[in-house]
Parts: sequence; structure tokens; C-alpha cells
Amino acid sequence: MESILNEEVDPADLKRFELMYNEQVRRGQVSEKAKFEYAWCLVRSKYIDDMKEGVALLEDLFKRASDDGARRDYLYYMSVGYTRIKEYPQALKYVKALLKIEPGNHQALQLEKFINKKMTKEGIMGMAIVGGAALALGGLVSLGIALAKK
Amino acid sequence: MASSGSKDGQLQIKVVLLGAASVGKTCLVSRYVHDRFTSNYQNTIGAAFVSKKIEALGKRVTLNIWDTAGSERYQSMTKMYYRGARAAILCYDLTERTSFDKIRYWVGELQENEQHCRIYLCGTKKDLIDNDTRTRAVPQNEAGIIAQDLRTEHFETSSLTGENVEAVFQRIGEDYVRNMHSYPENQPKQEDDTQQAFHIGKSEEKGTTSSCALGSCFKR
Repeated sequence: MESILNEEVDPADLKRFELMYNEQVRRGQVSEKAKFEYAWCLVRSKYIDDMKEGVALLEDLFKRASDDGARRDYLYYMSVGYTRIKEYPQALKYVKALLKIEPGNHQALQLEKFINKKMTKEGIMGMAIVGGAALALGGLVSLGIALAKK
Repeated sequence: MASSGSKDGQLQIKVVLLGAASVGKTCLVSRYVHDRFTSNYQNTIGAAFVSKKIEALGKRVTLNIWDTAGSERYQSMTKMYYRGARAAILCYDLTERTSFDKIRYWVGELQENEQHCRIYLCGTKKDLIDNDTRTRAVPQNEAGIIAQDLRTEHFETSSLTGENVEAVFQRIGEDYVRNMHSYPENQPKQEDDTQQAFHIGKSEEKGTTSSCALGSCFKR
């Protein structure tokens, strides 16, 4: 799963699909294909702003999609995008929606497992940070009390 | 990581599976890597990745396998997955003529863009033919002729029974090891990776800097 998520688009490819997409936007007629290809490059970009833009395009494609096959694929890349952005609750929501369309989809199950693992890990880290801060604060308070007693 | 080269003394080979939708690319990989077969069909989204360590001619080798989607939706994106590959398994369904015709398209693409990529032809679903020879839509000698032209091997496999599946991947590993010094990633290194990639790009045979050779050398 890491290989899929870490894989980065070649900037030249991103540029190529961006040009195609922008040309269609300029002409006022954007095909689903061009939009998807561009979004697919964006979510695999190195830059977080690109990933966010890619996810937004996919969300738009998803809303307009006419068949479940396309919807399934858009959901997958939305989830991949949000995983790369590290917005795990969103990522999880979309991968779960995918699994409703195609229960048992192997790629989706792998992605879901990965997201859950990340969330657990970050949850523990979060608690450690909060816990650490509480301890430090407690220390300061007791130091304060000790000083005040002097 | 998912490309070709060497890491911790292990050779890394990028392998890509290409072919029309529903010829059984994922099943082939699944039989090879997990030794299992599932009959419920799910078409692959974009591409799936899996790696497997093997031993070939006494060397430890990791096959980094990219299993691409066969559906039309991904056709323009597939190029990005075969870039830098050292082996391409072109799959077709032995009982489906149109899937075999599609092979020529991939052969053309690879020959044009990936001079270091070896091609392997793989006719799938052999068990169907073993059950009923009338289902064969692609004569063995026809695929054999293409394989001869490409100076590569032609396999007929069954992911259901496992027949010949291991042989395809083993052959890829052995061919790579046998020819390892002809690949840019195994040439002696003098400078850092970026410099190296630049030199390789410049020393391409025709003097043109092909993006594929460059792309495969950059560590990501």
C-alpha cells in the first residue's frame, strides 16, 4: 500500500495533463476523461495544494458520475488523496463508501487497513502529546506551589 | 523503492503487467505471490502493487510488480506505470481473440518508449482450453511468431491450476540477472544519483535524452 501512496507523479506528466485540461476549460467543454486524468495526477503530486485541488476535482466528478464503476474509481482516488493529505477521517469515509459499492474490493480493503493503522498511531501520538503537556503543566504548578511556600 | 536498481545488495526489478481488461492480470499476480485463486472478478483501479523476493541464478532479487488496470479509463495513464520497467508481461486471454490483437499495441508502445524493457507474452486461462480445445482463439504458433520476433519467451498459463505461473516470473528474474550489466542502474556509479542519471540520459544510443531512462534513475 505504501508504494501506491508514496508514488509521485512525474512533473512533466502533471504538466501534460494540466495543459490538456486547461485547453478544454478554455474551450468551455471539459471531458470527464481529461478531468479525471488531471485529477489523478494532482492527487499524486508532491505538493499538498495540488493534492487538495485533485481531490476537489474528483469530488466534482463523483457528483456528476453516471455509473457505479466510475464512482468506485473516483472514491478510491479521493480516499488516496485524503490519505496523502493526512486527513484520515475523510479518507476513511470515502473508502467505506467505495466498499458499499463493491464489498470486498481488495484494493479498498488494503487502503482502509492502512488508514485505520495511521489513525490509531496518530491517536496514540496525540494522547502522548496531550499527556506530556499535562505532566509538564502539573510540574509547573507544583513548582509554583513549592516556590510560593518558601 | 518500486523501481529497478539495487538496494541493500539486492537487485530490484520493476515488472509491469499490461493487457486488455479481464484477461486475468491480477489473478496471475495473485497466484504467483499469494498462491491463491479467486473467481469473483473485480477490475483493478488504476494499478496495484506487490513485491516478491526470489532467488535467480544465485542472486537475491526483488520483483516489484505493478499490476495495471486494463480498462479504457486508464489507458493514457498506463505509460506512467511501465516507465522504467525492466520486464513487461503482456497478457492476453487464450480464448479471446481481441485481447491478443491488443498485444501489438503494447509491443509498439514499449519498443518506442522503453528500450530496456524485456517483453514476455503470456496467454492466460489455459485451463479453459485444456477442458475444451474448441475454446482456443489464439493458435500457439501465432503467439510464438511474435515472441520469436521479439526474441523473448511465450508462456501459456493457468492461474486456476497454477500451471506455468512461477515459470514466467522466474524467467524474468533470470534474464535480468544474466543481463544485469546492460542496464543503466547497474553501471558503476561515480557521482550521486542525479549526476548519474544525467550522464545516462546523455549517453543514450541515439544521443537523445529519453525521459524514460531519466525517470527510471531518479530515486524518489
